[in-house]
Amino acid sequence: MADRRKYVIPGDVVTSGPFRPEQNVILEGNDIISTVVGISEIYDDSVKVIPLTGKYLPKIDDLVIGKVVSHTSLSWELDINSCYIGFLPAMDVFGRDFSTHSDELSSKLKTGDLVAARIANFDRTRDPLITISDRDLGKIDDGVLVKISTSKVPRLIGKKGSMIQMIENGTNAAVTIGQNGWVVVACESAEGLSKAKKAIEMVNEKAHIANLTDLIQDMLNEKDES
Amino acid sequence: MATVSVIDELKKAQILELLEQGKRVDGRALDEPREIKIEINAIPKANGSARVYLGDTDVLCGVKIQPDRPFPDVGDKGMFMCTAELLPLSHPTVETGPPRDDVIELARVVDRGIRESHMVDVSQLVIEKDKSVVGVFADVVAIDYDGNYFDACSYAATAALLTSKTPTWEMVDDQPTVVEGGEKQLPTSTIPVSVTMGKIGNHIVVDPNGDEWASMDCRVTITTDSDGHIVALQKGGSDGFTQDEINQCGDLSIKVGAKIREQLKSAQQESQ
Repeated sequence: MADRRKYVIPGDVVTSGPFRPEQNVILEGNDIISTVVGISEIYDDSVKVIPLTGKYLPKIDDLVIGKVVSHTSLSWELDINSCYIGFLPAMDVFGRDFSTHSDELSSKLKTGDLVAARIANFDRTRDPLITISDRDLGKIDDGVLVKISTSKVPRLIGKKGSMIQMIENGTNAAVTIGQNGWVVVACESAEGLSKAKKAIEMVNEKAHIANLTDLIQDMLNEKDES
Repeated sequence: MATVSVIDELKKAQILELLEQGKRVDGRALDEPREIKIEINAIPKANGSARVYLGDTDVLCGVKIQPDRPFPDVGDKGMFMCTAELLPLSHPTVETGPPRDDVIELARVVDRGIRESHMVDVSQLVIEKDKSVVGVFADVVAIDYDGNYFDACSYAATAALLTSKTPTWEMVDDQPTVVEGGEKQLPTSTIPVSVTMGKIGNHIVVDPNGDEWASMDCRVTITTDSDGHIVALQKGGSDGFTQDEINQCGDLSIKVGAKIREQLKSAQQESQ
């Protein structure tokens, strides 16, 4: 696997041959060409490039953290760290019998509130439709927002959630990770909070390092003693 | 901010909670400005220039000195003009196009602080009375924004003016002509220092950073001169100050301003 990974820039030929082009690559003739700066990965029959940087591109069913930036009489607008604005219809919060006369949107969510939400629908032609009507979704009442690079989110979660579990266990913090690179950390103790924040920032900065798990573990342990 | 940059409520609550304990988000004391770094002559070909870093706020000022026709009512005085602008690269919410209200305010506050302190001695900038005078133009742009662009722009303009060199002109055939080897220091009399204070809850903080700027209820910018006299004041934001708070801000601006003035002075001395 290791030798199949390489750093690429837009225009680089990742490989040639009968591969299926997946994310961030285009097929031109027989060549598969990268469209972003990132790390290329070649699988048995497909090729993709994991971008090193970039804004969040919504995907249906992604859990994201959104910030309410404004609202109309029918919907809220959410900043979801993307080039698109999240669209949260009032009916999603007030239910089917929502009425513009009797229900005031700012009574439920006001500008500046953070919400855990899910991308309900997105087809690139319209702004992504957001929903918060699900278990664990909705307004976030406490915690601190940490912003990391979108491309580092999988690293923060780790294999089957191993990384984030380790951070949560080591600090007693509750961490909500949005696929859009926004992470909310909540913890009873101020010490745990700052440690969890530091761990998340460390993952963000050192995502490319091979033995990151050990580094994080060391950092979590080390502070316990002091 | 140029357009509304919304701060999340959790951060706002955290800032206020820390202030209740007498602390700030970035660990500073309430009356402590961020670290100021002054780079003189950032633009080698300008008559004077300075780049100022106030924490993560980064601004650049260039000074252009050239002969000009005087204003008809003040033919015995030179001209001084200061502008300030935010570049789109300074913050995601800043767009190109005509300046918005807050950017117009920024330019006016920076200009007023320097103008009303009479820092630039315009009476010495006359080539021939009523015919030709010297104009001094200080243009400031914000390159990176992290709160309190008022003070950063003001320090940059002041530092650039302090270190500006002006050519000398004389009238030859009714035209102002440069005198060879006549370059001299721009005549300045005092060093104005603006100090911006924000009010968050019932707390006054000096030099609010980006997050504090977005969560403050109101602000006041007070400019003092070298004698410690208040020469200009601008209040912004929708909330108000009590009389005691305004007095406190006045004292703070003199105390904090004095320290910053020393930094401007040493930057001036180092450049010579």
